[in-house]
Amino acid sequence: MVSLLLATAAMGMLLSILLGSRAPKAWFAGVLVGAGTAFGAAVLTLVSGEVWRLHSGVRVGGEFIHLQLDALSALFLALLGVIGSLGAWYGREYWSEAAHPRSAGAGRAWWSVLVLCLGLVLVAANGLHFLMAWELFTLAAYFLVTLSRHSRVVRDAGWLYLVASHVAVLSLFAFFGMLAARTGGWELGPMRDRVELAPLFWFALVGFGLKAGMFPLHVWLPSAHANAPSHVSAMLSGMTLKIGIYGLVRFTGWLPVPESAGWVVAGLGLVSAVLGVAFALGQHDLKRLLAYHSVENIGIILIGLGFALVAVAQGNAAWGRLALAGGLLHVWNHGLFKSLLFFAAGSVLHATGTREMSRLGGLWRVMPWTASLFALGAAAISGLPPLNGFVSEWLVFLGLLEAALAHRAAAWGAVMAAILLGLTGALALACFVKVCGVVFLGAPRSAAAAHAHESGPSMRGPMLVLGAACLGIGLAPVVFWPAVSRAVDVWNPSWAGAESPTGLPALGMFHVGLLGVAAVLAVWLWRRVQGGVVTRALTWDCGYVLPTTAMQYTAGSFARIINEWFAWILRPVHHEERSMGSFPARASFSEHTPETVLEYALEPAARMVMQVSRTVRRLQHGRVQAYLLYLLVGLGALAALVLLGNGT
Amino acid sequence: MSGGTLNLLIGLAMGLNLLALGSSRLPSLIRSMSLQGVVLGLMPLLMEPERLDWRVVAVALATMAGKGIVIPWLLRRAMRAANIERELQPFLGYVPSLLLGAGGTIAAVALAQALPLLPEHAGTLLVPGAIASMLTGFILLIGRAKAISQVCGYLILENGIYLFGLLLIHSTPLLLESGILLDVTVGVFVTGIIVDRIQRAFDSLDTRKLTTLRE
Repeated sequence: MVSLLLATAAMGMLLSILLGSRAPKAWFAGVLVGAGTAFGAAVLTLVSGEVWRLHSGVRVGGEFIHLQLDALSALFLALLGVIGSLGAWYGREYWSEAAHPRSAGAGRAWWSVLVLCLGLVLVAANGLHFLMAWELFTLAAYFLVTLSRHSRVVRDAGWLYLVASHVAVLSLFAFFGMLAARTGGWELGPMRDRVELAPLFWFALVGFGLKAGMFPLHVWLPSAHANAPSHVSAMLSGMTLKIGIYGLVRFTGWLPVPESAGWVVAGLGLVSAVLGVAFALGQHDLKRLLAYHSVENIGIILIGLGFALVAVAQGNAAWGRLALAGGLLHVWNHGLFKSLLFFAAGSVLHATGTREMSRLGGLWRVMPWTASLFALGAAAISGLPPLNGFVSEWLVFLGLLEAALAHRAAAWGAVMAAILLGLTGALALACFVKVCGVVFLGAPRSAAAAHAHESGPSMRGPMLVLGAACLGIGLAPVVFWPAVSRAVDVWNPSWAGAESPTGLPALGMFHVGLLGVAAVLAVWLWRRVQGGVVTRALTWDCGYVLPTTAMQYTAGSFARIINEWFAWILRPVHHEERSMGSFPARASFSEHTPETVLEYALEPAARMVMQVSRTVRRLQHGRVQAYLLYLLVGLGALAALVLLGNGT
Repeated sequence: MSGGTLNLLIGLAMGLNLLALGSSRLPSLIRSMSLQGVVLGLMPLLMEPERLDWRVVAVALATMAGKGIVIPWLLRRAMRAANIERELQPFLGYVPSLLLGAGGTIAAVALAQALPLLPEHAGTLLVPGAIASMLTGFILLIGRAKAISQVCGYLILENGIYLFGLLLIHSTPLLLESGILLDVTVGVFVTGIIVDRIQRAFDSLDTRKLTTLRE
C-alpha cells in the first residue's frame, strides 16, 4: 500500500515537473496528487509504525537504490505533503501567470522539483543518494528564491543563500565521505555501537545546522526568506529548515554522538531561541521579522533534541523522551503556523505592495480574513493556548521540568533552559503584539495600505486549512501523540513502549474549554458592539489640532525598550535629525537593525580574505622571468632546508 | 689520470658561462652556448678512456652534433627568419649578471665541498661546474627579455644538468640519454617556430609583452 502511494506520489511530482511551465492546471493536479499521496503514505506509516523499504537492483551513481520510510521520515514527509500542496494552491493566485508572465512557469516547475527532492532526501537510505537529492533541492530552492531576479536585492539574497547552502553541502560531503570511508559503504542505517564514528557528529552539526538556520549559522536565512515569493518563504521556513532538523535527528539516532553533543545542541538551541526573537523584535520588515522567528523556533526544536541527547547520555532518562517529542511536534507546529504567517504576510504584500511595517496599518478592516488568520498564527507561534504552539512548548517544558526534578547532573541546565524558553515565549508574544498592532490595527500609514483589498479564495483557502490544523493540534493533542511517539521510538528504540504523558488529555480538555469560554466572550462582545453600546471616536490626540496617521506607534517605537536590552548584539543604527530652533524646518528619524553576525563578523572576515588574496595575486602577473625567479628561490629554499636541516 | 684535462674542460665551460652572461649580442651568446655544448660533449670521451664503449662514444658524438651544430643552426635560422635585432635587452645589466655569475660559481665550489660526494668525484670540478652552469642558465632566463636568449639560458641550464648526468654516465641507459637530447632539440625546434609566430603576432620578441596573455 505504501509502495503504491509513494510510486503515485513520485509519478505525480514528475508529471508536474514536466507540465509545470506550460499547463498550470495539470501542474496543480500533479502536485495535489503527488503531495496528497505522499501525505497518505506518511500517515499510514505513522499509524502502523511499520518501516517501508525498497531495495532496487538499479544503480544510480554506482550505488544500488535503497529507500526507506520509517516513522521519523514519515513525520517530516507528512509536513512536506501539507506544505507542498497548500503552497502550490496559494502560489496559483499569489504568483499567477497574469501577474508574473516571465517567472510563473519556472516557479511552478521548480516548486515540483523542490518538493520531489525534499521527499527523496527523506526516504533516501544511501549516503550518496541523500547528497544528490540534497544538492538538487538546494538548487531548486535557489531558483525559487530568485524568481523575481530583476531586483538586485533578490539576487544578492539568492547568492548568499547559495553560498551558505554550499558551505553546508561541503560539510555534509565531509560527513558522508568520512562515514562511507569508515563503514566501507554508502548504506545508511542504525550504527549506534560503533563508537569511533562519534566525532563525525560535528560535521553533521555544521552542515545540518547551517541548513536549519541555527544561530550563528543563520546569516543566509533572513534575506532569503524575506525576498523569496511568500509561498516559497513558507516552504523554506516551514519545510527546508526542517530538513536540517531531520538530518540532525536522523543521524543522532543512527550514529553514536560525542559526550558533549547534547549540551552543545541544547546551548545552540537556547542561543537561537533567545537571540532569534531578539533580532525579530528589531525588524521593521514583516517577512524578515517572520524569518527571524524561524531561527527562534528552530532553537526551541533544538532545545528538545539537545535535552533528549543529554538524557540518552545519562542512561536513557525518561524525560528526554518528552523533550524530543516536544521538539518533533514543534517541527509540525512550526511548519503549520509559520506557513500560515508567511501566507498571510504574502497576502498583505500582495494587497499593498510593501513589506515595510511603517507603511502599513489599519488592514483589519479591509482584510478581515488575512488579519484574523494572521492573528491566529501569531497566537500559535507565541505559544498561547489553546493552539498547537502551546502543546509542543508544553511538552518541551515538561521534559525540562522533569529533568530538573530528577536532581541529576542535568538539573541546573534544565532549569536555566526552562527560564530562557519562558523568556523566549514572552518576547515572541511581545513581537507579535507589535506586528498585529502595527500592521492590522490603527489607521493606514500610506495610500497603499488604505487601498488594500482582501485576497482571493486561492490564497484564503490554504490559510484556512493551516489555521484549522493549528487549532486541531491544539484541541486534540492526544490524536497526534502516537505519531510523534513512534518517531521518538525510531530515534531511540530503548524508549519504546513508554506510555503517553498523563497531562496530555487534560491539556486537550482544557483547550476545548478555553475555546468555549473565548467563543462565549466573543459573542458577548459582538452583541455589545452591534447593540450600539460601543461608539467609535478619535483616540486622545495630545492636544494636536490635526492628528495625522504618522502620529501612531511605529514598529520601532513599540519595541524600543526590549531592543535596548539587546542592543549589545542587535547594534541598531539610528539616523536622527532633531527639530531645532523656534520654527524647525524638518526633522527625521530612522532606525535599521543590521544582521549582526553577517555584517560585523563574516563580512570583515571575507574582506580580509579578499585583501590577502589580492596581494597574493600580484605574484601572478604573467612575466615568465619572474616565475623562473620564484622557481629558483623555491629551489634555493628547499636546498637550504635540506642542507641546514641535515643534522636534525 | 685525466682529471687534469677534465677539470680544464670544465673550467673552460665555466668561463664560457661568464662569457654568455657578459655578451651583449645574440650571435655571441649563441656561439658561447654552442661552444660549451661541444666542450661538454668531449668530456665522456676523456673521463675514463679505458672503459670507453660504443655507447659512450655515441652519446658524446650526438651531444656534440646536437649542441654544437644543429641547435645553433636552428636558432640562427629563427633569428634570421624573424628578423630580430641582434641587441639583447637585459632586465639585469651585464655587469650585475657577471657579478652574480661569478658569485654563483664561487658559491657552487663552496657548496660542492659541503655535499656528501663519492670519493672519485670529490676531486673534480664536475659538481661545481654543473651547479654554476645551472645558475648561469637561471640568471639568463630571469635576466633577459628576448625569446631566443631565453632559449640560450635554457640550454645552458640543460648543460648543467648534463654535467650532473656525467656522474652517472655508466649507469644511465642510452635510451634516456638520447631521449633527453632529442627533447632538447625538438624543444629548440619548436621554439624556433614559435619565435616566428610571436614576432608576427606581437611585432616583437619581447617576452615581457606576453603578460597580456594571462587570464
